[in-house]
Amino acid sequence: MARRGAPVDVVGVGRTFALAGDEVSALRGLDMHVPAGGFTALIGPSGCGKSTALRLVAGLDTPDEGTIDSGGASPDEMRRGQRIGVAFQDPSLLPWRTVTTNIRLALELVGRRHDTKAVDELVELVGLQGFEKARPSQLSGGMRQRVAIARSLVTNPDLLLLDEPFGALDALTRQQLNDELQRIWSARGTTTILVTHSIPEAVYVADEVLVMSPRPGRIVARHTIGFERPRTRELLLTDRFHAEVEAVSASLHRSEGQVVQLDTDPG
Amino acid sequence: MSPAADTAATATARPAGGSRLDRVPPRLLSSAVGIAVLLLWELLARTVYAGSYRLSPPTAVVVEFFEFRGLYLRNLWHSTKTAAWGFLWGNLAAMALAVTATLVPWLRRSIGAVVLTVFCLPFIAIAPILRLITGPGNATPIALSALAVVFTTYVAALLGFDLAPGSALDVIRSYGRGRLTAFRNVRVRASVPALFAGLQIAAPAAFLGAVVGEFTGAHRGLGILTVRALGALQTDRIWVIAVMSTIVATGGYLAIGALGRYLCPWSPALDVGAVPVPRIEPGLLNRLAGLAAPIAVVFVFWYAFLWVFGIEPFFAKTPVDVWAELFSVSEAPETRSIIFGALGTTMWTTSLGYVVGLVGALASALVFILVPWLERALMPIAVALRSIPIIVTTPVIILFVGRGLLTTTAIVAVMSFFPTLVNCYTAMTRTPEGILDVLKSYDATSAASVRNAYLPTSVPALLASARIAVPTSLLGATVAEWLATGDGIGAVMVTAFTRNDFKILWVSVAVLTIVAVIGYWLVAAFELRTLERMAPGTSR
Repeated sequence: MARRGAPVDVVGVGRTFALAGDEVSALRGLDMHVPAGGFTALIGPSGCGKSTALRLVAGLDTPDEGTIDSGGASPDEMRRGQRIGVAFQDPSLLPWRTVTTNIRLALELVGRRHDTKAVDELVELVGLQGFEKARPSQLSGGMRQRVAIARSLVTNPDLLLLDEPFGALDALTRQQLNDELQRIWSARGTTTILVTHSIPEAVYVADEVLVMSPRPGRIVARHTIGFERPRTRELLLTDRFHAEVEAVSASLHRSEGQVVQLDTDPG
Repeated sequence: MSPAADTAATATARPAGGSRLDRVPPRLLSSAVGIAVLLLWELLARTVYAGSYRLSPPTAVVVEFFEFRGLYLRNLWHSTKTAAWGFLWGNLAAMALAVTATLVPWLRRSIGAVVLTVFCLPFIAIAPILRLITGPGNATPIALSALAVVFTTYVAALLGFDLAPGSALDVIRSYGRGRLTAFRNVRVRASVPALFAGLQIAAPAAFLGAVVGEFTGAHRGLGILTVRALGALQTDRIWVIAVMSTIVATGGYLAIGALGRYLCPWSPALDVGAVPVPRIEPGLLNRLAGLAAPIAVVFVFWYAFLWVFGIEPFFAKTPVDVWAELFSVSEAPETRSIIFGALGTTMWTTSLGYVVGLVGALASALVFILVPWLERALMPIAVALRSIPIIVTTPVIILFVGRGLLTTTAIVAVMSFFPTLVNCYTAMTRTPEGILDVLKSYDATSAASVRNAYLPTSVPALLASARIAVPTSLLGATVAEWLATGDGIGAVMVTAFTRNDFKILWVSVAVLTIVAVIGYWLVAAFELRTLERMAPGTSR
């Protein structure tokens, strides 16, 4: 399959915040590599700096130390080049716009306002046909999240960054959207980084699962997920899927217990 | 999101300003601006405006105050005492009305109509009418002061009672208890933050009521001192009074704000100025009932007022009398031409100031959002000025602008500017961070951020401010006309007042009140339609 998108190389990144007079180190010595067209899931305990890491890659924030590079471009250059698509746990839709015009917002911002074909395509891809004229307040949580995903994809970005986009949804909707995310990724081949709390979700959709330590966050384990694609729900019931989930879960528990752990690769 | 990530989000809440001024502490910046303003004021007063009777230099204001401090402090104390009594009675009445409206929902619309009508009364012109009942003493300023706080406190208390969490009310209901228990156990507690937000606005409003009451013939107080100083062109004296009023009114505003924060530290800052209007149920019958019942209640109150106080027919005019004066007696055409001719002038100057104030406020809020260091330098001053009852400083504006038609426009513009600016800016800062992040991730221009985020998020606040500004603008206009310009309906009223022509006075009051109520409801209808169109289902 033809792969497109930008690779991401994070080397020795640290980020410290001033919080109520205190210095809080959110990330320290973060290293990660996502190949072009790869799908990487980032998992870790609450408050470990996953979201901070993603914001740094998106160019929404700048690291205090270390470098981030996407095939020769810095995150800020990627952002200014409008090559990034983002979706957060809060769908962050404009309540006064419809499904169509919310998706079109991204196109307007990159100067392709009249590309109605791209919008129609995305509406279909995320399964929102018939709801084009609906406002966010008239949609369910899952539908709103689909709009956010469609908006993040409509500009055909080289890098797709998802910060727990399905975190607030029920298990059934979540599984459905995971299937669609996988399908969309397979069709488009955009480099994707997904931040999530859910181990099965990470194992189900990603090529590689990176486990982070508690704050200050760094990568403490890397699991390559070798399941063939397309992955279907039957996979969820297999022993090899459970084994993989167990393995990631074990790394996660180890990481929670101790901060000073060297990089391991149990996979 | 982790606390650290929260901080990161806050850091990007506004477009990144590269200015070095962004790192100057806000207090330092606004103090510097304050000192610069004082220096410029002194300089202008000593050079360009020297001998013009328009602007007193700050040093002269201080000297004047200390020279006559006995006089000033005596009158300030008197007006403050008046305002305190008005504050007490007005707030008690407002809370009683709000409790009734919450416990007896079908009375709510009618109570709301009465309270709104009171808010729309041209205060300066009803002072002579109130004086008929209360006599020459201090009761009229106290009554006006009380009337001036009823609306804001009522709206705030009602909002507070409604903010009670529905789930908590359901718990009470699930134990088979009724409205009264729910009210005692849940609503009263839930209302405290909103109530304090309302009381905070009520403090300067009470001071305003007291001073306006004193404008029309009290024996003591800052109001009558101002009127005399205006007549004698004592520029320094007028400036001293304006500065003292500002300090006292702002002090009350800040003190109640601090008390509110002390009593409910868990509560976020509430903005009572931006409360949306309640929606009228659809359907022609509901609409008619929604309109007719409140009007009927207002007329009942009008008759009840005349009957309870037993005012002599020479002074007391019923709705029927007012109608006759305007449409059936032989002088009716003449009355109509006087009243509506003057009303036309007032409407023209007022609308101009109203539009200038609102548009200017929105534009300034956008500038503040896009240029953070400017916001940090000027916003504290804007917030302080917002708490001032601008009407109290009317004499100063009259001195500065002169006594022409523009004076009315200037006062109305200033009056609508500050609250709208603060409300719109606050709304813009509450733009969801996720939306700003999405915009930033596409490197959106400032223009695109304004169009897609800041402007739309400030629309509800803008419309709510525009609605509230209708009655306050007319109030400001009539005070300016009464005291200075000699134009418009305010001048018609002051002439009628000096000639004891109570017919014209009542007709003017009635017409002005109706105009203010209609204006308020026109903006409210536009507000509801716009909010419903922008984001269906999100307006109340």
